[in-house]
Amino acid sequence: MPKKIIVIDDEEIVCRMTKMVLTKEGYEVETFTHSRKALQRIKENKFDLVITDLKMEDVDGMDILRETNKLYPNTKVIMITAYATLDTAIEALRGHVFDFFPKPIKIEELKKSVKESIGTP
Amino acid sequence: MMNHLKRWKKNLSLRKKINIAIHIEGILITVISIFMFFSSRAILSKLNFIEDFDNINFSFLEMRKSEKNYFLYHDVNALKEVLKIGEKEYNLLINSKEEFMSKLGKKDYIMLLAILDKYLNTAKKIVNISSNADSNYLELTKNLREFGHHLTQFSIFLRNIQHKKVNKLVHQNAITLFIGLGIILVSQLLLWQYFFISLSKRLLKIESLTKEVANGNFHKVVTNVERIDEDEIGLLMKGIIHMANELEKREEQLIQAKKLASLGVLVSGVAHEIGNPLNNIFMLTEGYLSYYDSLEDEQKKIFMRDVREQAKRIKKIVRKLLNFSRQKKFEFNLVSPIEVVEKSIALVNNQIKVSNIKVHRLIDSNLPFIKVDVDQIQQVIVNLFINAIHAMPKGGDIFVEIRVSEDRTKVIIKVRDTGVGIKPEILPHIFDPFFTTKGTKGTGLGLSVSYGIIKQHNGKISVKTEVNKGTTFIIELPAHLENNLEEEKHA
Repeated sequence: MPKKIIVIDDEEIVCRMTKMVLTKEGYEVETFTHSRKALQRIKENKFDLVITDLKMEDVDGMDILRETNKLYPNTKVIMITAYATLDTAIEALRGHVFDFFPKPIKIEELKKSVKESIGTP
Repeated sequence: MMNHLKRWKKNLSLRKKINIAIHIEGILITVISIFMFFSSRAILSKLNFIEDFDNINFSFLEMRKSEKNYFLYHDVNALKEVLKIGEKEYNLLINSKEEFMSKLGKKDYIMLLAILDKYLNTAKKIVNISSNADSNYLELTKNLREFGHHLTQFSIFLRNIQHKKVNKLVHQNAITLFIGLGIILVSQLLLWQYFFISLSKRLLKIESLTKEVANGNFHKVVTNVERIDEDEIGLLMKGIIHMANELEKREEQLIQAKKLASLGVLVSGVAHEIGNPLNNIFMLTEGYLSYYDSLEDEQKKIFMRDVREQAKRIKKIVRKLLNFSRQKKFEFNLVSPIEVVEKSIALVNNQIKVSNIKVHRLIDSNLPFIKVDVDQIQQVIVNLFINAIHAMPKGGDIFVEIRVSEDRTKVIIKVRDTGVGIKPEILPHIFDPFFTTKGTKGTGLGLSVSYGIIKQHNGKISVKTEVNKGTTFIIELPAHLENNLEEEKHA
């Protein structure tokens, strides 16, 4: 059973590229550009890893992080953001994110971070 | 000389002006009173003289009576009585020579004296002859009658002249009094006019100036005052203008500070706006290079197409930014505000229909024209419509009001929706560039660009909102003055 990853970003290309990279690595990947729908999906289903953008309309990355921590304490969260301010980084780390990626995302680093968080598929 | 006087008048304080006015009035009344006093005294002395002269006249008549008795009864004593009275009056005339000469005039005085003298001499001669048989007797009696007649006629004539002189003086007095009182009345009226009408006018002006200050129209206050006197009211006006000047400066500084603040928003906005497509390009190209060998031709094409789309996204943002910053030269044309609004509605008509929204028009009749860049104003109104549509995802009503201000100097266009309204915490930012509530769908430039356009037209854009009830955007544009329109038509 491959490990399950959910990717949430309102940029469709980020979702698509992440999915492509991680699928090729052997993971099972679901993507969402609507954060509310993603949150719903997280509530229904346990994922091994959540990769989410920080700034999003409606439900933002911090909401996703809080909800995930609450429901599945073992599920790891990786945060992506275009706004890499110190405040958001501190807040995210306090919320126990596994990693914090400023945009632009480098594919190799992403692969490495995913492997470090949940291991090989 | 006149200018000098005017300047002097302008520089007087209000207190001094009132003082001068009261003094002039006082001097005028004093002069008239003094004139009346002397003139009354002159009349009184004339009347006294007439009384004296009447006594002399009465004596002359007595003389004539005795003369008549002599001719009736041939009594020499009667003639002696004539001489007695006559000489008494003669002596009186000689003794009071100065007074009579000044009152009657030298010529008339001498004439009167000469006639009396001749009369008395003739009477003396008749007394000395005292015989009817004398050859001169007849001639002398004839002369006596003649001189007596002359004497009474002439003295009555002189008395009448004196009487006329008194009449003339009294008449003159009445006229002088009348003119004097007239002058006082007119000067009172002028003072009243100055202090109450001109003063109240200036006070009203000050009231209107303070209202303009209260409304924030500082520039109007500074440019609207054509004349400032140096008196207390002038100083007050100067104070208000100084205050308006300072407030205007402060406002400009505030606007500058706001601009700087929005520059910060702008920079972070640009970073965010461009950051996303840039990240996409980065990921796409990296993926493309990493998996190049395993990608099929069709997939490679999709990669490149996506890169192009993201580049287009950046280009679009850059273009909007340029539009935002560029001082585009406006092309002002005279148009009806209704025309501009209707054209804008036509542009968004489809979206309105699809979104289940009804547009209601509330339009004043007899609206003045506006001088605007039609495309730019249309852009503003279309933008307001699109915001209204977005605020009513379940449909609703848009009320478009076009009105003219009470003083007909402004055309007011209101766009009201029945949508979700704007939250108080974001209301201060809605005109900031790159501030958006629409996420990636909006650039956050619409309202800030609109703000700039309306400002360029010397207008105002403001907003009233209530959460879950709706939002009203109010655009005020200067109305094109009607008489200017007439002139242009004639031209």
